Amino acid sequence: MKSSRHLLRAVWAKLMEHYTWLLFIVIYLITGIFIPTLFTSVTLLNVVVQGTTVCLLSLGMAFVMIIGEIDLSIVAVAAFAPLAGIFSWEAGFPVPVSILFTLLVGVGVGLFNGLMITKFGVPSLVQTVSMWWILAGLVLIITRGVAKTGLPATWMLLGRVFVGPVPLLVFFFLAVVICALIFARRTVTGKRLYLVGGNSEACSAMGIPVNTVKIIAFMISGLFAALSGYVLSARMGFISARFAVEWLMPAIAAPVIAGVSLTGGRGNLFNVIAGAYLVQLIVIIVRAGGVSGYFTEFVQGLLVFIAVMVDTGKRRVSGR
Amino acid sequence: MYNIKNVSKDFGTVRALRDVSFTLEKGKILGLVGDNGAGKSTLLKILSGGLQPTGGEIYLGGEKTRFKNTADAMKKGIAIAYQFLELVEIAKVWENFFMGRELTKKIGPLVFLDIEKMKRLTEEAVTRHGQSVDVEQEIKDISGEQRQIIAVTRAIESNPKILLLDESFTLLSLEGRKEIVQFLRKVNNTSGINMVIVSHDLDLIKDLSHYIMVLRGGEKMFFGRTDEISIDEIVNYMLP
Repeated sequence: MKSSRHLLRAVWAKLMEHYTWLLFIVIYLITGIFIPTLFTSVTLLNVVVQGTTVCLLSLGMAFVMIIGEIDLSIVAVAAFAPLAGIFSWEAGFPVPVSILFTLLVGVGVGLFNGLMITKFGVPSLVQTVSMWWILAGLVLIITRGVAKTGLPATWMLLGRVFVGPVPLLVFFFLAVVICALIFARRTVTGKRLYLVGGNSEACSAMGIPVNTVKIIAFMISGLFAALSGYVLSARMGFISARFAVEWLMPAIAAPVIAGVSLTGGRGNLFNVIAGAYLVQLIVIIVRAGGVSGYFTEFVQGLLVFIAVMVDTGKRRVSGR
Repeated sequence: MYNIKNVSKDFGTVRALRDVSFTLEKGKILGLVGDNGAGKSTLLKILSGGLQPTGGEIYLGGEKTRFKNTADAMKKGIAIAYQFLELVEIAKVWENFFMGRELTKKIGPLVFLDIEKMKRLTEEAVTRHGQSVDVEQEIKDISGEQRQIIAVTRAIESNPKILLLDESFTLLSLEGRKEIVQFLRKVNNTSGINMVIVSHDLDLIKDLSHYIMVLRGGEKMFFGRTDEISIDEIVNYMLP
């Protein structure tokens, strides 16, 4: 009797810890009643595949939020980095090298952001907004507003090769996610991101190189932005100036919905994935629900707002 | 043996410390008192390597020592627990206990945190000093005494020669204060390290320390054994 109550409480605690997943699953099931196609394996797979972009962006954003900062440049990196990668391919490098170059560009932008923010004390909001404009502007100058097409077939392997019905992309995505989770939970640097976000003064008093840790967080968000841009281009077959722009707000909303503290120190990356898919689901619902295109953004924003309010209320009740 | 000789510190034309000296035998506790601006913090910063003295010498175990900075002082056996304890409130006890010196294990070529070991060692360290704590709890959910115990236990983990405690008792209840006095006395007895304690809490200083030094306006007004001086006399020395 006593042990079963204990078990119940443990289950309840786990559910509350991962309530973002609960929320996602419940909304998915309810919506599925009205839009039965949601229950077909094809649609389910589509949801997973389409969600990879926002999920990768959100994970990168979550790493920066954990140290109590923000990175708005990610959506521009998501266009600029793969574009730079494609140019390196056109310049004669083999595709694997140009993919690697894409990721390095992302990491490099993150390194520059991190250096400006830690060494010169530029607020991350200002630094990354300016980076966003600069890179988005560069992409416009380079592409003249025309989508870059003619990507090599090997570049698009991830999106075009299937294992059974499942695109290779999904496996790649899962591998990246698992690496991110292990990094955050099981490595010294991962743990230090949380500690620095929690109290950077205490960290430097205890000998943790706070600035280095912060710079690493920005390099990670740059890496994830480049990854998401690469994955998107591999799926779509082109790169455009407006590439991931629509996903900036969702990439901020997803970690917040998942309970990542904007002031730093807290955030379960596993829940961020659910947060990202929840935001993705909202988009699908709005589209499939037959809402006029003019209303899409408004309804999206409203739903995100409600989700954030519910989360705030929940955390206030539980006293966190 | 721990002693300093004629330590002075000038900030421009302002003399913050003037020829301060003391000698402590092994294992003795020094209580450092004085009004605001008396020079306590300046002295503590010099002892912990945060400031360079303008003049004077520091001897550790009879050997003349100079600290380039705080990290250098830590390396040479100085540990410090600060006023605000330098704990991350929203992190767990064991995470705080090992922050900056995390334990790792290798799996193939990869290095991962040894979480189980850190939890176990945290628990063992706290138990060794006759205390108990749930290492899975976050710092914000434990009492002021427990925070104090964690901070001090963490500071002495590296087997320092000297432990400096800076005003860390302000958040404690009367009961908690008693507990901390007992705890620090036990730590002092078992480890035999020197402690220098800075506090406004004269009762606590009187309870705990073997020696007392009173500073006023950067000058040593009194240095002697605790039983040689009453609280009223301490106050008299402190006031101008």
